Amino acid sequence: MAFKKDTVTGTMIFIIVLSLICSFMITGTAEILKERKLAKKRDEVKQFVLKAAGIDISQGDFSDLFEQRVKPKMVNLASGQVTEKANLLDFDERMAAINPETSTKPKKDIAKIKSMANDVRIFEVYDTNNQLSSIVMPIYGKGLWSIIYGYMAIKPDLNTIENIVFYEHGETPGIADFVTDPQWLALWQGKKLFDEKGKMAIKVIKGGAKDGDIHGIDGVSGATRTGVGIQRLVEFWFGVEGYQTYLHAIAAEGK
Amino acid sequence: MSNNTSTREILTSPIFENNPVAMQVLGVCSALAVSNSMQTALVMTLAVTFVLVFSNLIISSIRHFIPNSVRIIAQMTVIASLVIIVDMVLQDVAYELSKQLSVFVSLIITNCIIMGRAEAFAMKHPPHLAVVDALGNAMGYGLILLGVAFVRELLGRGSLFGHDILTTIENGGWYLANEMFTLPPSAFFLIGVMIWAIKVVQRKRR
Repeated sequence: MAFKKDTVTGTMIFIIVLSLICSFMITGTAEILKERKLAKKRDEVKQFVLKAAGIDISQGDFSDLFEQRVKPKMVNLASGQVTEKANLLDFDERMAAINPETSTKPKKDIAKIKSMANDVRIFEVYDTNNQLSSIVMPIYGKGLWSIIYGYMAIKPDLNTIENIVFYEHGETPGIADFVTDPQWLALWQGKKLFDEKGKMAIKVIKGGAKDGDIHGIDGVSGATRTGVGIQRLVEFWFGVEGYQTYLHAIAAEGK
Repeated sequence: MSNNTSTREILTSPIFENNPVAMQVLGVCSALAVSNSMQTALVMTLAVTFVLVFSNLIISSIRHFIPNSVRIIAQMTVIASLVIIVDMVLQDVAYELSKQLSVFVSLIITNCIIMGRAEAFAMKHPPHLAVVDALGNAMGYGLILLGVAFVRELLGRGSLFGHDILTTIENGGWYLANEMFTLPPSAFFLIGVMIWAIKVVQRKRR
């Protein structure tokens, strides 16, 4: 046999060929599944945005609903201006947030996210009469162990919370399950983000918010740090470095 | 002994006499973790079957070219690639289920059954026998996994494949679910009982 497998060269050749074949197998599979994975991701975004806007997706096709009612937009956080971008549904937020070319380091990083995207994709949601009913904005930040990802929908008064959803977190299983519990998330509905002076006022309160507190959300005992994390991330994203500039811009436009 | 019976023996012996989980006590880690419902157990069995069959097939067909000094690395490379493929396909086809199986799909790489069969069998036998051996071992693994999952899901939740069999008290039935069976330690006892049962049967046969 010409191929001497137990020599050094033989071993080298064998390993190189084997690695090549194996890597082709893996990249081949990844390539075949790529398109389907993208489609799945798009569907996931659509579902969560509709859920955040409080639209019932149990009936009918959520894709159609999304087409009719939702308009995605790219917003530059620093200037508050809308920027043009094609294929908004395929925009990769996570990539944009870590890519040094499209991201910056937050100055006051209370959400502990280390780097944030310059441009963020938000969604305008319209009701059946074609009136703006809410704006869905992505929010994320660190809880106790992990980054918590979610969407916050605010009413056109740019202050009242329409709804909030969190779709990914790695907090303590069992204890921090309230993060995805509809009952707890419902506590946010109707709360006001800012007080009369326009200052950020939302608070997750340990021991429970008082009745009639329009800024307070009940904290959950045993998960204090997760609650604090959520409060901070909302503070951050609706603060100066977050959507504030954009909110001021559209408020000025509306007047 | 004719060639035919030996092929059959290769296929059937790992199911009982030489069961990889019960007799060689290999692959127990995943057997404990994913056997709390029939669905995850079945998917895990299918994943292991796929990896086992193809790793045995590939390794057996290139066995004359594998240099002795790197044979374990070569086996690992093949197995790891197959596991990554299974993981990707599973995430595509059944995303929710792949979340439940979480890390255990990737941990198929370290499942001793697969390494063991590659090293002990595929390296020394032609491809067709290696595939038969892989199928036999996969069945042996699946038998234990599904057996344990059957008992655990039935007694722990009163259901099979998510369908209610014994209606639990919470759902207005009569059956008080024994939640111990949904926790991993119960699989220890069940596998122990199975090992004992298989040994008793074998002793009688002799």
